[in-house]
Amino acid sequence: MRLRNRTPFLAAAAMAAVGLLLLLAGCSLNIEGQQSALDPKGPVAKNQYDIFMLTLYVTTFIFITVGGSLAWVLWKFRQRKGDDPDFIPPQSHGHPLLEMGLVIASAGLLVIIAIPTFGGIILKKIVPDEFLGDAVEVNVTGFQWWWAFEYPEQGFYTANELVFPAGRAIKLNLRADDVIHSFWLPKLAGKVDLIPGQENFLWIKADEPGYFWGQCAEFCGDSHAYMLFRAIALPEDEWKEWLETQQRETVEDDGSFEPLLAREEWGYPEDKILKGAEVFRQACAGCHSVNPRMQTNGPNLAHFGSRSSVAAGWYENEYDLLYKWIREPERVKPGNFMYRGFLDRDGRTVIMPGLKDYDLSDEEVHAVTAYLYTLR
Amino acid sequence: MSSTVETEHHAPAPAEPVRDGIWRRPLKNTGLVGFLTTVDHKKIGIGYALGALFFLLLGGIEALIIRAQLMYPEQELISARTYNQLFTMHGTTMIFLAVMPLSAAFFNYIMPLQIGARDVAFPRMNALGLWCFLLGGVILNLSWFFPGGAPAIGWFAYAPLTDRQYSPEMGTDFWIMGLQILGIASLVGAFNFITTIVNMRAPGLSMMRLPLFTWMTLITSFLIILAFPAITIALVELMFDRHFGTYFFNVEGGGKPILWQHLFWIFGHPEVYILILPAMGIISEILPVFSRKPLFGYPLIVFSGAVIGFLGFAVWSHHMFTTGLGVVATTAFAFLTMLIAIPTGVKIFNWIGTMWGGRIRFTTPMLFSVGFIWMFMMGGFTGIMHSSPPVDAQQQDTYFVVAHFHYVLIGGSIFALFAGMYYWFPKVSGRLMDDFVGKIVFYLMFIGFNLAFFPMHILGMTGMPRRTHTYKSEMGWDQSNFWSTVGAFILGIGILIFVIQMVYAFYKGGKAPKDPWDSRTLEWDTDSPPKEYNFAYTPVIHARDQVWEDKYGVEAKRMEKIAPGKHGIHMPDQSWWPLITSIGIFIACLGMVFHKQPVPLTAEAVFGLEIVIAGLVATFIGMAAWALEGPGGFHLHPDPAEYAGATPAPEDEHGHH
Amino acid sequence: MSSHAATTDDPHAALEPLKKTSTGIENKKLAMWAFLASDCMFFGTLISTHLIYRKVYPTVVEPTEFFDIELTGFSSFILLMSSLLMALSVSAAHKGNIAGMRRFLLGTIFFGLIFLSGQVYEFNHFVKDAGLTLSSSVFGSTFYLLTGTHGVHVALGVLWLSCWTACSLPKDWAWYTLRGGRFLWLPFRVIFAPMVGRYKHENALDVEVAGLYWHFVDIVWIVIFTAVYLVEYLPILGF
Ligand code: HEA
Ligand code: HEA
Ligand code: HEC
Ligand code: CUA
Ligand SMILES: [Cu+2]
Repeated sequence: MRLRNRTPFLAAAAMAAVGLLLLLAGCSLNIEGQQSALDPKGPVAKNQYDIFMLTLYVTTFIFITVGGSLAWVLWKFRQRKGDDPDFIPPQSHGHPLLEMGLVIASAGLLVIIAIPTFGGIILKKIVPDEFLGDAVEVNVTGFQWWWAFEYPEQGFYTANELVFPAGRAIKLNLRADDVIHSFWLPKLAGKVDLIPGQENFLWIKADEPGYFWGQCAEFCGDSHAYMLFRAIALPEDEWKEWLETQQRETVEDDGSFEPLLAREEWGYPEDKILKGAEVFRQACAGCHSVNPRMQTNGPNLAHFGSRSSVAAGWYENEYDLLYKWIREPERVKPGNFMYRGFLDRDGRTVIMPGLKDYDLSDEEVHAVTAYLYTLR
Repeated sequence: MSSTVETEHHAPAPAEPVRDGIWRRPLKNTGLVGFLTTVDHKKIGIGYALGALFFLLLGGIEALIIRAQLMYPEQELISARTYNQLFTMHGTTMIFLAVMPLSAAFFNYIMPLQIGARDVAFPRMNALGLWCFLLGGVILNLSWFFPGGAPAIGWFAYAPLTDRQYSPEMGTDFWIMGLQILGIASLVGAFNFITTIVNMRAPGLSMMRLPLFTWMTLITSFLIILAFPAITIALVELMFDRHFGTYFFNVEGGGKPILWQHLFWIFGHPEVYILILPAMGIISEILPVFSRKPLFGYPLIVFSGAVIGFLGFAVWSHHMFTTGLGVVATTAFAFLTMLIAIPTGVKIFNWIGTMWGGRIRFTTPMLFSVGFIWMFMMGGFTGIMHSSPPVDAQQQDTYFVVAHFHYVLIGGSIFALFAGMYYWFPKVSGRLMDDFVGKIVFYLMFIGFNLAFFPMHILGMTGMPRRTHTYKSEMGWDQSNFWSTVGAFILGIGILIFVIQMVYAFYKGGKAPKDPWDSRTLEWDTDSPPKEYNFAYTPVIHARDQVWEDKYGVEAKRMEKIAPGKHGIHMPDQSWWPLITSIGIFIACLGMVFHKQPVPLTAEAVFGLEIVIAGLVATFIGMAAWALEGPGGFHLHPDPAEYAGATPAPEDEHGHH
Repeated sequence: MSSHAATTDDPHAALEPLKKTSTGIENKKLAMWAFLASDCMFFGTLISTHLIYRKVYPTVVEPTEFFDIELTGFSSFILLMSSLLMALSVSAAHKGNIAGMRRFLLGTIFFGLIFLSGQVYEFNHFVKDAGLTLSSSVFGSTFYLLTGTHGVHVALGVLWLSCWTACSLPKDWAWYTLRGGRFLWLPFRVIFAPMVGRYKHENALDVEVAGLYWHFVDIVWIVIFTAVYLVEYLPILGF
């Protein structure tokens, strides 16, 4: 076997690779990204971030010392050109004391990580007393592929947008009806799963008012990637105001679904909106409630016009995108139930028809799109 | 392969027993029949390797499609559903059809040689394992061709997404039954290896003289027999839920989806050590050879391997930190998980100790081994981060986990398996692989791998969830994803060159001598490739690194050889029954997949359990005939030149009839 | 390291690796022990599933109201006794007493069949009279899967022992006794006739291995009987 000495090549290649990585890391480290866990904005996320950094320091230290000794050994004891190929190094078999020493050192380093870990486990589970007094409670339910938020103290529902006061602890009761989902708001707290038949708990707190992005983090079927949500931490006064508006009805309760909003604020021709109301009554009301106090199979749309996103956080709430969603829900979110309708346990029989079976015209979709903006 | 053998194959020895199977036993050991009926551990090992490499490429192509889709934000190269099917199949394929069988290939081929055995304890059962593995891969991938396509449930298939209601398609049934057959393959293999290692060592080869790779084979086999039952039962329960209306994971009847997670990970975590311990065994063989030093701290490395295996059963819930476990359980599982860093660290320290003061030669296997240590260490460190539940709360189900497990699986298992392939290729094929091309492969794979997976740490920490087929540009993940894809393709090119190089070397490579690397263990004392009977003589072992001692050691530690008796060497007979039995199992599993599915060309008929029953009957017939046939056997008479210098056998008082 | 494991440096000890073993334990026995370790995990998983679920079932009636503990207790006792017979047949096999071995094997099979009939009767009764089915509740699901898996183990054991019984019959029995030509005998002919007369003294080991399996299946039943049946009576007994 020819043995060419390629150690310098090895070293150079490895260096180049590492350099490239650092370069990439530097230019793509988007610390303040929408969902970055490296940019914590609340106590739970902050604690988790701190422990992460600690583990990062400890392991980097070990990597440098152990990996460094490895590099040194490779360099020092490599076979060089001109070395006697028949040289036999001393056949040492081990060094028990050294080995035990390293074991103990490793154990010590683990203790450094273990102690704050324990604190973090408790913190995520249990709201500290100081925040308990003015905590707000929200029931979160995950569905394929959207979120229902219920404010039990006030008794109303909303969807896909979690609004809460900054500076106060929010207690989240997490549930699911169909499959497992996971509630994750990286800047405020690590995730907790929503599991059918079980209730889980998580609490969050935003130090300052802000706008956050959240995401379903457990694979939950075709459109898992599109199961996002937004979270808005409001200053105390705006929060009070928001609570009030949310509890208001937005449509006539005579079954006509006409918006209660003053006509001059409709922003679209009157007949378009009224037509939209009619379409909504026929095609949409079976799944969507516009009564803030009622939850049906689909997202509650009572105040949809004032929300910032459509299709569970995937789109901004803009006319064209909303139109696209209602026109072609299947193209926006493959497999979604608004299009397919709801199915029975066997996975085949339709128990609630979806838009697939309604065959709405472009005009009707425009009308209902405009109509939705009057629900504020 | 055996063209140079000058023995009288199948010459009827005096007291040859009559071979009276239900069918005439197959005697031809070449061609298709020879392959389908083989019981030779070496041919079976090669069968495993070829199958595993095929699936590695298949899983790799699936991965490349995944990466291509993620290269740019909001791409529409493939649909969401196709993407979900791809990562499900990619994960399942890589773990069950690529890495596990590739390890099994080494168990089969190398382990018996390392212990000086003529074959494994149950050669026909070994063949059954091979066929079950291949047919399991077939079932799993058949799903692509049926309505609904491949499963889209993720490789750990969390209930209740796998319930009929949420996954009505047959893909999930293919997945269940495919894994079930693969489980049989792993289990029969493991029973066999345990028996072989414990019982069939050459004289003088005590447990504490076993080569490290053989030790890791033993420990891995124990992990398999203790871990697989959990998933087998879980799969049976899931199958009942889907086909017979039970409620194991269905909330409506009182079932708990979380039970699936416990059962899956009680299997799943030991499984990841099933994937890494053989790799560590390979590394522990290669480092001493190319440092020209014995393994540093051999007893401690063996012991830590066992401790890793043992602790592996006590940490499964670290995959479930976000499922709302109680504080006590979470803490306990977290701390137990951290403990695993210690035995793993021991191995790493001892590997470095092995090289310390040695004379290091950078051959291709050595480069892969050294690369392994660094990359595996990085993967281990991210594992330690995961083991802290508060940290894991942010990382679970993000690309950080994807980065973690690809570092341990590729930087760990795959690198070590490649090291092993480069190292043992001359032994298996009798040909040499070019070292320069090998190094190019290594650099391409090393750089491509890091480029592909290092950015995923950043992606994960900045919030990119895994198993999402697309992402929005606003998130700031574009660049990392782009480079990651570029890296994946470089890695792919490296693997492609490896495959080409191997095929080329097989036909055109230079002839390999017995011991091309100046190695230390017993397999290097026999021909490259070894004869059907492995060793013409019975080796009597007097030292741990026997072949090294033979070359450089003192007289007292030299190997003794004992010549075969006048009956020659006893070899097991070939058989059709393992293949037939596995086909029976295959039919039964397919029948289960088709259960309740419409019968083609009929109006309303659906399949009942007819096919399953037919398959089970075929299985039973296969097993009964197998038992009646008996192991059989014939004798070979190697050329006396092959055991020149051996002491004559102490004939009849110890021989048999 | 000294070679403190079972192997000695005696070069003659393992001359024929296919025939003699390093530990002195036969390969088949060792493999069976490994299989049983694995089977422990199988039953462990099933039993824990049942224990986790037994309290969450929304069944209408308490299990104690439809369990027939006397019957199940009796069949458990029979199964235990079959282990005794099994041990006797293994001992006869090692002594080369083929007729004795066959007699005890038949006894074991007979007891095994009694146990199985008990189970069939019991399942029938639970389904018909108590409405407990696989899909009536999760209690039904786990109950039938667990006890059913055990039943399948017993049935396979019966089949296995029957094969050895057939093997141990004298050669001329093959067509002689089964020649009645009655249709009912056909399957027996096809399955067992090729085996008749094949038993040799070295097969005593195989009977012993089958015995290991049989004892294991019996012992597991004790655990299942406790975990599935007896625990339900704890509240009645005041625990
Ligand atoms: C070969 C496979 C392999 C190996 C060896 C490991 C090794 C480890 N893994 Fe990994 N793991 C996977 C494969 C593997 N893992 C896979 C496939 C998944 C994801 C499954 C999925 O979700 O799809 C996963 C997921 C996973 C999780 C769950 C993450 C999540 O989903 O949120 C966790 C959590 O604790 C974890 C931890 C660990 C730990 C602590 C180790 C340890 O064994 C590592 C120990 C090694 C070292 C630490 C390095 C060397 C040590 C030293 C140099 C000594 C000094 C060090 C210290 C003192 C820290 N792994
Ligand atoms: C041992 C196991 C193993 C191995 C080797 C790999 C190898 C690779 N994996 Fe794998 N991966 C898993 C196990 C493994 N993976 C698991 C368990 C999951 C989780 C699945 C789940 O979530 O359910 C996963 C998930 C996973 C994801 C996340 C998907 C998601 O969550 O959305 C990604 C994304 O980049 C990925 C990429 C890759 C790549 C690029 C490779 C590369 O290393 C592949 C390299 C190989 C080749 C490229 C093939 C060889 C070359 C050719 C065939 C020639 C053609 C090529 C060219 C012309 C370039 N993997
Ligand atoms: C079969 C039930 C069904 C019908 C009919 C239906 N929807 Fe939906 N709708 C849903 C479901 C389910 C979702 C959540 C889909 C998802 O995100 O996967 C949804 C989501 C929406 C959303 C997005 C909500 C958000 O905050 O993201 C809007 C807007 C909407 N529907 C409007 C309509 C309109 C308008 C109609 C009638 C033209 C309609 N829906 C008919 C079930 C239905
Ligand atoms: Cu819901 Cu993913
Ligand atoms: Cu794990």
